[in-house]
Amino acid sequence: MRYILRRLGFYLIAAWAALTLNFFLPRLMPGDPTTALFARFRGRLAPEAMDALRETFGFTQAPLINQYVTYLSHVLRGDLGISVAYFPAPVSEVIATGLMWTLFLAGTAVIISFTIGTLLGIVSAWKRRGWLDTWLPSTLVFLGAFPYFWLAMVALYVLGFTLGWFPLGHAYGDDLTPGFTFEFIADVFRHAALPVGTVVIATLGGWLLTMRNSMISILGSDFVNLARAKGLSPRRVVMRYAARNALLPSVTGFGMALGFVLGGSLLTEIVFSYPGQGYLLVQAVRNQDYALMQGIFLVITLAVLGANWLVDLVYLWLDPRTRGPAS
Amino acid sequence: MRRIVLRWTPPLALVAALAFGAGCARHRAPAAQGVLVVSQEQQSSWVRNFNPLTTATSARWPTLAGIYEPLFVFNSVKTEVVPWLAVAREWRNDNRVLRITTRDSVLWSDGTPFTAKDVAFTFDLLRRFRALDRRGVWGFLEGVRAIDARTVDFQFQRVFIPGFDEIAAQQIVPEHAWRDVADPVAYPNETPVATGPFTEVRVFRNQVYEIGRNPHYWQHGRPFFEALRFPAYPSNDRANLALVFNEVDWAGNFIPAVDRVFVSRQPASHHYWFPLTGSTIFLYVNTTRPPFDDVRVRKAISMAIDRDLVNDVALYRYSRPSDATGLSDGYAAWHDDTVAAHGDWVRHQPAEAARMLDEAGYRLNADGVRCLLDGTPWRYEILCVSGWSDWVRASQVIARGLGEIGIQASVRTNDFSAWFQRVQEGNFDLSLGWSFEGPTPYLFYRWLMSSATVKPVGEVAAGNWHRYGSPAADSALTAFEREPDPAAQGRISDRMQQIFSAEAPAIPLYPNPSWAEYNTERFSGFPSAQDAYADPSPNKFDRGECLLVLTSLRPR
Repeated sequence: MRYILRRLGFYLIAAWAALTLNFFLPRLMPGDPTTALFARFRGRLAPEAMDALRETFGFTQAPLINQYVTYLSHVLRGDLGISVAYFPAPVSEVIATGLMWTLFLAGTAVIISFTIGTLLGIVSAWKRRGWLDTWLPSTLVFLGAFPYFWLAMVALYVLGFTLGWFPLGHAYGDDLTPGFTFEFIADVFRHAALPVGTVVIATLGGWLLTMRNSMISILGSDFVNLARAKGLSPRRVVMRYAARNALLPSVTGFGMALGFVLGGSLLTEIVFSYPGQGYLLVQAVRNQDYALMQGIFLVITLAVLGANWLVDLVYLWLDPRTRGPAS
Repeated sequence: MRRIVLRWTPPLALVAALAFGAGCARHRAPAAQGVLVVSQEQQSSWVRNFNPLTTATSARWPTLAGIYEPLFVFNSVKTEVVPWLAVAREWRNDNRVLRITTRDSVLWSDGTPFTAKDVAFTFDLLRRFRALDRRGVWGFLEGVRAIDARTVDFQFQRVFIPGFDEIAAQQIVPEHAWRDVADPVAYPNETPVATGPFTEVRVFRNQVYEIGRNPHYWQHGRPFFEALRFPAYPSNDRANLALVFNEVDWAGNFIPAVDRVFVSRQPASHHYWFPLTGSTIFLYVNTTRPPFDDVRVRKAISMAIDRDLVNDVALYRYSRPSDATGLSDGYAAWHDDTVAAHGDWVRHQPAEAARMLDEAGYRLNADGVRCLLDGTPWRYEILCVSGWSDWVRASQVIARGLGEIGIQASVRTNDFSAWFQRVQEGNFDLSLGWSFEGPTPYLFYRWLMSSATVKPVGEVAAGNWHRYGSPAADSALTAFEREPDPAAQGRISDRMQQIFSAEAPAIPLYPNPSWAEYNTERFSGFPSAQDAYADPSPNKFDRGECLLVLTSLRPR
């Protein structure tokens, strides 16, 4: 219990530091949201409009430190401010349009990739020098070495554009009404197939290698030999003895990956026109939309911290040593 | 548990794969009959906002293009003002009062009659909330009053004839729906009440929305089709793909090599027309810094540029070299052909340019680089925006041309915000930049050479970044402000063009095309070079031009 509380305190401090960075980093960029709006217009907006825009967004000239204090107190109250790029929609509302889709898309991809990758890692370590172990890791690492953007474009071009097997984008068909109908859910999965598939292919190799390598070192250790000597079934030795211990490094990676899901799905979403959070972040940066940037960073930060906290809990279950001397 | 997972994984994967495969037939259902699919904004998901008074960017495209309507529509292809919600205008009281007569028998989409009171109310909103006044009309207006149900008087602070264009373009909102809105600046206006051809929000989801026709539209029988539909595409590439696959009927995107990429896939129905009615792109020289204060240097730089090559390399031949007036084809009716014919300082003649610089005393040093009179060599950076590939390539061509006459120029790309801050503050030597568009050349030349727009270096200037003021231009611009007679305005406009060509305050490169692609498989009646009744681009919504197109299209 002490352990959990101590970790919690650590996460609070980390959250505060991240909030502070969130506030100051965007403001170091040159220019302001008003000028950024002009980029889209290239002369089609009269110069007079700039005064009107400044008036609209009501930019405060207050000292940065005062703005910082206001910002912190607003965040604590759950008020993320008004988005400039999507004025006058509140940031929380703008983020809500994409958050669920990103969580679904990237979450599914990471979980599938982690599960399959880890299982394949176990198998390939157990059946070392079998055909699986000879071909699979190298093929997957080869595929993962391609820039993800390129891989996704090729998949979209070949499977979506040329063969027409998959839809070219969006999270579901434009003419469907969202709801808990079989048709809608099937359509969501069909639209997710390509984006999830490409992410899985690009990341599978990493999980497999991590698991395989830590399995190999564990399989050589004394307690595994003991288990074998006791005459336990091979499956029991692999799963209960070796894999459980070999899983530790992978679980750490899993926590990190879950956290980065929210920020890292940017390329996927752009290539497949997926209505998610990554594209919003690009929009926010392009428009110097401080409030929206802060909001998205906040969500990412909380996700990373939350995922790590979960990993801590899983560690407690997987590895009795972390339960501390007290228990 | 785990044993079960292992045993069931392969069959599960197989089932999933089969399920995907079954549903994976080529599935591209076309939109319903009578629904025009438009792609103008690039977003990953839609935010519901139909407020026509806030800045153009936050409201969805149809807000200004088809839901709300202005008093007069400006047709930039014909250079013509088309009566719309207003039918007549008249200058009175020594041109200090503009009287506008509104159209009879116009109804709002909820059935309430549209009157002059709505016009007065709209302009009063702009006065009370300066954030809404993006055309700056209250910079020259003193008061707005509805005389009766069909007449509005605009009282001016001073005689300012070009003010008409800004009043004409204002979208009008209904008093009965907006009277009780506490904060019209932050009002998303989710269910619009308007006079335009399309007013009924039929569907609004994060990936797609549809606007149905106005049941009470004043042009009886129009529009000829049921609804507008907007799928969300986050990028230019994705939108172009949709266009190629007949998922979109009308778009305003930049497409590289459009003939090969788009037209050749289906020549019978894939069409584009890029009239050169966009803003002219300039090479701005900072006239506060020598030697750019010398008109001979500016003209020599201009003559060193091979504009044909710029058009070729940077623009896929979509444009043409600018002439000495700097005007795009959007000002065709104003264009002075004599000025263009005589202005040879925009033609590529490097030998002549070098001779002019020699004559002016700017000699080459030992390294073959020209120098100021005190011996400082001419080494300059041409600024442009990173990622704007047309500008970057144009700058490279320019830099090479300048090298040929002994000016060492290099291309410097900046992120948009950084670039914009530098040009606005006058902190540059040479930079590419756009110019301002308007129905008359007044706005265009005002931001190129009026002393009134010159800000000191270091202070942010909305336009006139090169900081050039010309006394001759000032008097011509003032005369234009006071001249209501179109013929006399034309003569003043000719004078402005002569002054521009003589003084070369900035170096015109090429007029920007107005991007427009359309698919005639399901709709006919798009403007084209053969039937040039309006600008074909969905991007031309600011002065209501899209209304001309939306009320002309017919479903097949």
